[in-house]
Amino acid sequence: MASLRGLSRPACRLPLSQIARPAYASRPVRCASSQAAGAPVPPADLADLEQSALTTPELSPEEKKQYRPWKRAKDRKIQLPGARYQYHPPKYYRGPLHPVQSPPSSDPRARDFVPGPFNLPRLKQTYHSTIAPDLMTLTYMHVPPGTPEKEPAERLRGWDGSSPYHKNRALRGPRGGAELPLIERDIDFTNIPEIKEVTLATYQPEAQRDPDYLVVARSVLLAITGTMPELTKTKTNVVQWHVREGIKAGCKTTIRGNAAYEFLDRCIHLVWPKIKDWKGVRATTGDGSGNLSWGFEPEDMKFFPEIEFNYWLYPPHMMPGCRVFVKTSATSDRQARLLLQAFGVPFYGPIRD
Amino acid sequence: MGKLPSTLLRRPCLTGRLPTTSPGFTHTPLAPSIPSPAATSTTPLPTLRPTQVRHATFIPRHRRPYQFTQLVQLSDGSTFTVRTTSPQALYRSDKDSRNHILWNPSEASLRNVEVDEAGKLAAFRERYGTAWDLDGGAGGKAAAPAGGDKDAAAQKGDAKDAAAPAEEEQHDSLVDLISAFATVDNSVKGGISAKAQAKLDKSGKRR
Repeated sequence: MASLRGLSRPACRLPLSQIARPAYASRPVRCASSQAAGAPVPPADLADLEQSALTTPELSPEEKKQYRPWKRAKDRKIQLPGARYQYHPPKYYRGPLHPVQSPPSSDPRARDFVPGPFNLPRLKQTYHSTIAPDLMTLTYMHVPPGTPEKEPAERLRGWDGSSPYHKNRALRGPRGGAELPLIERDIDFTNIPEIKEVTLATYQPEAQRDPDYLVVARSVLLAITGTMPELTKTKTNVVQWHVREGIKAGCKTTIRGNAAYEFLDRCIHLVWPKIKDWKGVRATTGDGSGNLSWGFEPEDMKFFPEIEFNYWLYPPHMMPGCRVFVKTSATSDRQARLLLQAFGVPFYGPIRD
Repeated sequence: MGKLPSTLLRRPCLTGRLPTTSPGFTHTPLAPSIPSPAATSTTPLPTLRPTQVRHATFIPRHRRPYQFTQLVQLSDGSTFTVRTTSPQALYRSDKDSRNHILWNPSEASLRNVEVDEAGKLAAFRERYGTAWDLDGGAGGKAAAPAGGDKDAAAQKGDAKDAAAPAEEEQHDSLVDLISAFATVDNSVKGGISAKAQAKLDKSGKRR
């Protein structure tokens, strides 16, 4: 194509492949380099590179007559896109049967595309290389083959059958509440606890007096997690605390995957060691089904590197504290505590399982 | 929004005609027909669908801040990269888990052992007990005249007595053993002289 650069513009747009052209007539060209004494002779397969565009002959009148761009445009079946055409994915998803479909979210042109991952978090690497195999082997309990399986404890209570109406009646719920606690699953190679997600939540009841509190709280969570927090509203009226129901008084956000691992890494290795007289996470934390939580005081938030970088931007009296909920795939608190202890979270105090 | 073809196949509705209003409609119909008043008087009211219909779901663009790749250098010189909203290229940490006593309980240089060369603190504790210590004090009674080394020995004895039944307990599995394990590091607080602490460290016995 480089040899065509010397052609005039209309000649370039000729359908050259369709025209039976005569072979290039090699005109004697006098070049100083090729006429030098020890000039290398170009090999045969590079001979066409030696031909200059200036050596091409003039187009014959028949060839000029064959150049009909209007004919090509007329014969074209499909319409070419405009010069400034750019693809934009549809703004709405209109169902799987719609002719216009948006590209998958892994496509950079998709509206919901998020680039990344850009690094492998250190804690995730440690988890997959060390922590997960260690947890699996250290918690292995050998059951000799032939051991009869234990009868599972009755979860939902039945009816004693003292009344004929007890027949086909649904089982009774657990005593003392409607919550049915999870059964702990043994750790094996299909069930190694891992971090599912981390939720951060702040509560700023002063926001009903001054909405700037919410702005600061959102920006703090946004800086820490890198996701846009959503506002939360109060659920109940508390007259003594001057809290009305349904006012916006906090925000929360959830991070998953790499971001969750990096947040935990930052907490464990950068933030907690900087807190004065910090003893650890209370060992009694947990909701009984493998989700642990802790909190940060307002004065602890400045130890996050993102907050520390421009700490002067935040009004000190508006700095929120936050609560952190770590959701793991463990089914009991002690398994979740094992996982977090392996990550380096120190626990203190009595243990309640 | 990209151009949608104007000829869309519509799901047939029960009444056989296009509903003018439906609860799930987020947009005006693509072929709006303005009914004449005479026609509206003759046609029955548009019936509501039994189920809610959503013809279009908005695909939002993600709202997220720019994230930089930051190099974090811990206090022992190890570095790693993180994705963060902070535009700082290099974050140097002066206090982190590498030089904190909680994560390095065996590191002697991180302990705040109180240096009591003149013996004034020991004399105070001999007279008033350890109840005035910041962490509450173990013995805690004024009538307990015990020297630093004797106190340490007594504490060691207590620890042995406490450890003996723990060893006798039969752990049904290793999980219980691991989860019940808690590092109680009594050496973090002061209470004995530096010399006694050094002797304890040298003997290698955990208190």
